[in-house]
Amino acid sequence: MISTFFGLDALSSSAAMLTAFVIGLAFGFSLEQAGFGSSRRLAGIFYFRDMTVLKVMFTAVIVAMLGLQYASELGLIKEEHLFFMPSIYGAQIVGGLIFGVGFVMGAWCPGTAAVGLASGRLDALVFLAGAGIGSIFFNEFFGLLKGLYAWGDRGVRFAWQDLGLSASGFGFLMVAVALLMFWGSEYLEKRRAAGGTYWRSPFLRSFSVVMILLALGLMAMDGRVAGERPAGGAASTSAMLAEIESAKDHMEPEELADRLMRREPGLMVIDIRSAEEYAGFHIRGAVPMSMADLPELLAGRENQGIIVLYSNGMTHPAQARDALFRMGFTNVYILTDGLVGFLDRILKPASLRTDLLSEEQTARINSWRSYFLGADKTPAAPAEPEKPLAVSQPVPPAWPGLVEPAWLAENLGSADIRVIEVRAQAQYNGGHIPGSVCVSHDNFRGVVAGISSMLQPSELLAGHMSLMGIKPADQVVLVYDDKPHDATLVAMAFARLGHGRFGILNGGFPRWAQEKRPVTTELPQAQKSQYPVPAPDTFTVTYKQIMENLKAPNHVILDVRPTEYYTGEKVDEARGGHIPGAKNRPYTDDLVKYGKVTMLKPTEELAKAYASLVPSKQTTVVIHCRTGHQASQTFFVMRYLLGYERVLWYDAGWTEWAARSELPVEK
Amino acid sequence: MIMKESMGPKPYMNPYLAGVILGLTLLASYLILGAGLGASSGIARIAAYLESGLVPSHVGSSEYFGAWGKEPLNYYLVYMFFGVFGGGLVSAFLSRRLQFQVERGRKASIKFRLVLALAGGVLAGFASRLAQGCTSGQALSGSAMLLSGSLVFLICVFAGGYAAAWFVRRQWHD
Repeated sequence: MISTFFGLDALSSSAAMLTAFVIGLAFGFSLEQAGFGSSRRLAGIFYFRDMTVLKVMFTAVIVAMLGLQYASELGLIKEEHLFFMPSIYGAQIVGGLIFGVGFVMGAWCPGTAAVGLASGRLDALVFLAGAGIGSIFFNEFFGLLKGLYAWGDRGVRFAWQDLGLSASGFGFLMVAVALLMFWGSEYLEKRRAAGGTYWRSPFLRSFSVVMILLALGLMAMDGRVAGERPAGGAASTSAMLAEIESAKDHMEPEELADRLMRREPGLMVIDIRSAEEYAGFHIRGAVPMSMADLPELLAGRENQGIIVLYSNGMTHPAQARDALFRMGFTNVYILTDGLVGFLDRILKPASLRTDLLSEEQTARINSWRSYFLGADKTPAAPAEPEKPLAVSQPVPPAWPGLVEPAWLAENLGSADIRVIEVRAQAQYNGGHIPGSVCVSHDNFRGVVAGISSMLQPSELLAGHMSLMGIKPADQVVLVYDDKPHDATLVAMAFARLGHGRFGILNGGFPRWAQEKRPVTTELPQAQKSQYPVPAPDTFTVTYKQIMENLKAPNHVILDVRPTEYYTGEKVDEARGGHIPGAKNRPYTDDLVKYGKVTMLKPTEELAKAYASLVPSKQTTVVIHCRTGHQASQTFFVMRYLLGYERVLWYDAGWTEWAARSELPVEK
Repeated sequence: MIMKESMGPKPYMNPYLAGVILGLTLLASYLILGAGLGASSGIARIAAYLESGLVPSHVGSSEYFGAWGKEPLNYYLVYMFFGVFGGGLVSAFLSRRLQFQVERGRKASIKFRLVLALAGGVLAGFASRLAQGCTSGQALSGSAMLLSGSLVFLICVFAGGYAAAWFVRRQWHD
């Protein structure tokens, strides 16, 4: 099995750079040998004069395609080691058309122009300069082009999948089309007396035969294997997705418990957590295996008996299960809700359960407990996280978003990095990130039009930024202590100002301290700046706007207060309950704690949770809480981490809604 | 050596053979790097680097180039681009095709040809950012993976090229 630089996440290592350079040498050499150091020859294809471009390009495409398919068929390489570009149809159609015009005008493309320059062609140098200018042009107008850039994004899509064919079947078609074009080109060139050297030549005949045989061989392999393993073709992928959709790949804890107690032969339960966690507690009868070892240790168990994977949650087992499915395992299941679910549904004592239990149910629970716990003792349950918190990596942030402590530590000295600690003054005085300033989130709030705790208007916010010496181009990192929503509230101030690059430190100050990153008691130096005042933001909504859209389609209201406030059980305002039709997603559901460190949950997990609440990324979502504080965290998650496009913030929140008796309330 | 210099350029390689070598290079790129070939990214990053030499804070804060960080050149496709130039140089030298000239039809002026080369470059540079790749990254590498969007891009490149070919034909008139 081959591990690629991409697969090892090492594309930015110096070894990868050197490899890329060497591959570039071969790339440039073959282009020049083909005659692509000449613009005249390249342009020939557009006048049906010289079809070399077509011959070289399509030969390369089918050779690499066959090679890739053989490599994956023989198990040399796995999909996760390859980078697949997404299909973004709008951008690729418009880009392709413009590119084609540029190609025929300049008679170069980027790669061949480099070779042309190496061959001394001055028109290649001019083309390259133009391409640089075109790139800069794109960057300058990126704000306007963003929509087009992402227009028609369908993720990774394969043509064979879209056409309902197998990869090898479509590959055969590609080879056939390419060969037809080759023969056609030779005939054309011969007719025009400009070449056609290979028309009916023994060379082209044997080349064509070899290519067809290779393509057929692949189809035969696919056919032979199809009976034994379902991987590879379109049908198997859709079969897998169908099973996932219908949750057929899940096993409920109760079913697993009963099967284990029956000591069913052929049942294999695998714990894929760390060895320490396994040693701490595991389901009786489970064997420990690390995810990386699964393919090797399970070899030969394809479709024999039943394999159940579990971890604390479901993400890792689901990934492992998908990987195994691709290898031909159709007998792998994941435990619904993971070990956490097992503890709750199987091992929780009957006395602690909230549902009314029949005697039979109580007896069943007791028998499970006695089997899996031996004695009546509670397991050393791993409270929440699957793994201990890993040390952060210096991944550059995608602004606005999360900032990794390791990245901040590496870039701390830069003039345009500004750190703002949204922590208590006393804590800040005791030690803070070098160069950081300290503010309270309440500094940015005040009474606006009679409503308290509103985010201040932009002219006041700009004044705060000017005093702190922050400039619009700065990269601003907001640091919280144990409440991410303190930082996200300040992030709302930056959002209102239209600031481009701001983010919150992932894990806040406690994680910074835990990773033993630099801390100081010195105060920073800041020079006053002149922060410009922008137009009012477009994401803050009023109760009137909410009322107007209360019954609008594709419109979701998210109430992020604790559930007892949403239901009206607890009331701290004029009235209790919630806005009619609002859904409840407490902001605390997005958090996870590792000891002292409070973090937002992993993005994939959040994405799943919100996908079930909000139909699409284009749905309008109004987020509110009581004062706008907690809602700022959900806003940050949905808008910046998950990419929902229309997220609105009802800052006045339940304080205002409850006080205005004319507004409807639901309980 | 003297004898060789007096000889003209060597003939081009059999295009199918050159295509096989190019295809194997692409395959090697996939199996070793895990990603395909690319050229326009290298140009764009060099452009970002040059622009940031002139207006550093502007580039740093711009949304597209800014995402590449302070050292846009520190990227594998930039190295690959230099490799392409190097490989082309070696091959052109060995095949005695190194010649300083502006390639054009005999009846076309140098100025006309260079204006078209510049304009074509601007369009191609812009379009390859929009489509996230050029003939190398999308049309060649993506098509070999049978990616839908890359095949669509490939078809559109030829559609655009053939549509515009008639209008710029004079640069090749002899």
